[in-house]
Amino acid sequence: MTPLQLSPGDLLGRVNRDVERSYLRARNGLRYVRGSNRPKLGSTPKDVVWHRDKAQLWRYRGGSVRFAQPLLIVTSLVSRSYILDLLPGSSAVEFLRDHGFDVFMLDWGIPDELDAGNGLATYVDEYLPRAVDAVRRETGCTELTMAGYCLGGVLAALYASGHPDPGVRNLVLMATPLDFDEMGPMVAALREGRLDPEDLVDETGNVPADVLYSGFFMLAPTTVVAQRATLLENLWNDEFVRGFQAMAQWTRDQVPFPGAAFRELVEQFVRRNALMDGSLHVGGREIDFTTTEAIVLNAMAEKDTVVPRAAAEPAGALVGRPERRHRLLLPGGHVTFGTGRSAFRHTLPSLAGWIAAHSDERSS
Amino acid sequence: MPLWLRIVLRLERAVGGPVEAAVHSDTYFDVVAELSRGSRRVTDAVESVSKRGLHLLNLPAGTDIRRVREQLARMDRRLLEISKELEALERERA
Repeated sequence: MTPLQLSPGDLLGRVNRDVERSYLRARNGLRYVRGSNRPKLGSTPKDVVWHRDKAQLWRYRGGSVRFAQPLLIVTSLVSRSYILDLLPGSSAVEFLRDHGFDVFMLDWGIPDELDAGNGLATYVDEYLPRAVDAVRRETGCTELTMAGYCLGGVLAALYASGHPDPGVRNLVLMATPLDFDEMGPMVAALREGRLDPEDLVDETGNVPADVLYSGFFMLAPTTVVAQRATLLENLWNDEFVRGFQAMAQWTRDQVPFPGAAFRELVEQFVRRNALMDGSLHVGGREIDFTTTEAIVLNAMAEKDTVVPRAAAEPAGALVGRPERRHRLLLPGGHVTFGTGRSAFRHTLPSLAGWIAAHSDERSS
Repeated sequence: MPLWLRIVLRLERAVGGPVEAAVHSDTYFDVVAELSRGSRRVTDAVESVSKRGLHLLNLPAGTDIRRVREQLARMDRRLLEISKELEALERERA
């Protein structure tokens, strides 16, 4: 309908709306440029229930717990954990807590020089068993659901497959890369030796956060233009701006990758693709993914460009006993496990439903 | 969606496709690797000259401070290892 076909009342309404939106655009635009009014991220109330070095175990407060098995989320080493607790009303942690789970999150902190020597064994054999012990102590439960996101999924799978009493009843792998041959061009450059891991490690002994940010940015360098244009169009919408700022902050907020773990990752995961051929050693132990007693859910996102589906799919055929393996293909991209419309419409309800179906109801 | 936004999005995809193909190519990574090695060589050369100048004036250079930080970090790591070994021994004894 053209403006000429509108009734005077409708026309006035449209003019009013446009004037109001222009005002809101100007106000939000100024706030955005000034960097003020930034949303507070990762703000669901929580307590630190265990810590070691920089690793911390958080237990989220509130919500009535319906399920007997607590849920321990293991986050990635390369990004900040608050993607899973981005904003009030748009937080995976909040969603899971409100659906009756006693939610814990293992956050690795921000590595510095002191952590340059942290290898995979540091995370799998030192931090994870202690964090699981802490969850058991806090809740009095012997079994839990462990959900690993991205590289956290690899650590969770290594932990669940490499220990005599891991206490993992359900193992949820969210966008977990196992086939590093499918991980994209930067990984390919490392595999073929065109990029040397030593070229990426700085004087702190770690891979700096900037390098990781560049790696992710280069996956689609021009999308920033489309994102900014979409922001401009929706600048009047406070909710949209808040979500945009939160995501933009998370995207830029990478953490350094501990040097020793990075070298191991390149040597074992990338160059030998050892997660796929079963020749992986962590802390001197040979890892056999089929030894885990856990019921395994391999959840992957259809449009994930960070961990492409081809890299995540093999987890469904390698981790756990064949009769205990489940698979979930979700719409959306890499962050659908944490935020976005698709997260709350599809991903989180599906994940919560699966975990609930494989947990015991708590006796009152 | 307004027309201007549709045009921007379409343009972004038109340009983005070839840009992504370029930055995902072998040549790009070869160039990045060479640039990073080159920049490291240049930094080393500049640092070596400035270090000599500063040392002439008996002043510490950035590389000296970096070396001290590295040594401190190594010592910190060693202390951490020892405290963890001690903790493990105490656990065994308990």
